[in-house]
Amino acid sequence: MEYIIHILIIINIYIVLTVSANLLVGLANLLSLGQAAFYGIGAYLTALALMQFGLPLIPALLFSMLITGLIAFLLGYISIKFEGDYFVLATLGFQIIIYSILYNWITVTKGPYGIPGIPAPKLLNSFKIDSIYLFLILSSILMGITVSIFYKLIHSPFGRVLKAMKDDKIALISLGRNVTRLKIITFVLAASFAALSGFLYATYISYIDPTSFNLDESIFIVSAVLIGGTGNLKGPILGAVFVVILPEILRFVGLPDSIAANLRMIIYGLSLVLLMLYRPQGIAGTNKI
Amino acid sequence: MLIQFLINGIILGAIYSSLALGFSLVYNTTKIFHIAYAVLYMIAGYFLYTFFNQLGLSFIIATFLSILSTVFISIIIELVVYRTLIKKNASLNVLLISSLGVMIIIINSIALFYGNETKIIHNDIAKSIRFNDIIITYPQLHQVFFSSFFLILFFILNKYARLGIKIRALSNDAELAKVQGLDIPKMRIKLFALSGFFAALSGVLVAQDIGIDPYIGLPMLLNAVVAVIIGGLGRFSATVLGGFILGILQALVIWEFSANWQEAITFGVLILFLIFRPQGILGNKTREV
Repeated sequence: MEYIIHILIIINIYIVLTVSANLLVGLANLLSLGQAAFYGIGAYLTALALMQFGLPLIPALLFSMLITGLIAFLLGYISIKFEGDYFVLATLGFQIIIYSILYNWITVTKGPYGIPGIPAPKLLNSFKIDSIYLFLILSSILMGITVSIFYKLIHSPFGRVLKAMKDDKIALISLGRNVTRLKIITFVLAASFAALSGFLYATYISYIDPTSFNLDESIFIVSAVLIGGTGNLKGPILGAVFVVILPEILRFVGLPDSIAANLRMIIYGLSLVLLMLYRPQGIAGTNKI
Repeated sequence: MLIQFLINGIILGAIYSSLALGFSLVYNTTKIFHIAYAVLYMIAGYFLYTFFNQLGLSFIIATFLSILSTVFISIIIELVVYRTLIKKNASLNVLLISSLGVMIIIINSIALFYGNETKIIHNDIAKSIRFNDIIITYPQLHQVFFSSFFLILFFILNKYARLGIKIRALSNDAELAKVQGLDIPKMRIKLFALSGFFAALSGVLVAQDIGIDPYIGLPMLLNAVVAVIIGGLGRFSATVLGGFILGILQALVIWEFSANWQEAITFGVLILFLIFRPQGILGNKTREV
């Protein structure tokens, strides 16, 4: 039972990651390879808020999301000036720089040793979210809030303008829309919600180290979105469920861990190539990238 | 000591240059962000390991066969993946992601087959030459000599042979080259062969020096891409210049700070270039269309 709950919590964390990455990749056509960096910044800020400042749950979460959003604003301000491959490269560059800072700035982040013993978040100073059941409830609530915010967003004028920007940017500019501002807002939103995932991850696992937030993780998040599908919410949610459940299925089949890890990456890679060939919008998506 | 670091930088720069040249051969002409190129570099080392260490062929023949096999795989990627996608009018982002998928598949297949640990080609300590306190090993000498030799050969070819003229025509304007009766599919096979050759060359040269593991490709490719950008897009001589500058810069970073910060500084430089001089050192300013 605890095993299933664990899987469900991880799925919740990944849904938040893919739904927010979808806003960038699927709707705004900004292929960012830096989402894991914001996920990581969120996780480290959570550790800071809980361990150094002793903040309760909601302020700690808001602190982590706001500061990550602020950092994303600065990086986004630089990155979104670039188009196509240059945008990919800029976000990839920031990803590697941030990873490198988390890894090497040992006095602040403890580098490769990681930060152990992140305490369970407290609600209202007394009620501790310290059991796996309570954590499932917390993560489901936060996931639910995230998904409904993004549902509202996609179906709002903002979402429609984003889709329009992907289809015809010049027409949109000529209609008086500020495309740059639109892109920055998208970038900041996606980063802040990646930080929410980071909050859930840090408080649930209670140990963080930089290797969970490297370039491979960024590629992994984008792959999950692209496999599941881009443009709507069904797609990224399906993608998150797929990437979390597949390794468990391989474990049940009885493959040894050493083979299973590589085999599952081969399956992801193959799904990416085949989908790009036959269904560029992903399994359940609507927007072709 | 400084001179030793500078020499190491130049040797590293020679490898970056030939690797970057192979990448820009594809990137300048087809505009594909060929991430799968990273595995060509890696797989050349594994071919060498198989032919030389496992099958016991002589080193020269093993090296020759490794390069040939890698070139073959490069052509296969073009024919099976890129050509099929281009027939379907795939966008450049779709090409990039398929390339990423191919990379993930090949890396993990190699890891499945050969294991994750480092394979060493030469077990004995490499012979070296010394001038006072400066040490250069034979594998390093090979790296500089063969990289420079084939780079010079390429520049002669590029300047005087018909193939070079065609390559330049294709990178200037693919549509116009097609109108002029250039057989683009045939041309692209030659390009991917040549590009695969440079990946394989740097791959075997580094593999015989420091060995191989399945994950060496991507970091090297990213360095090569940084070299392409700082040198300047569109010109092969600029790419080579970028390679040497990056090699020397990284060696100086190790000398001045530590190897830990090498990646962060490399990508910091990339981002500075993207912001302040996106056309690179030697590139011509292009106007946005």
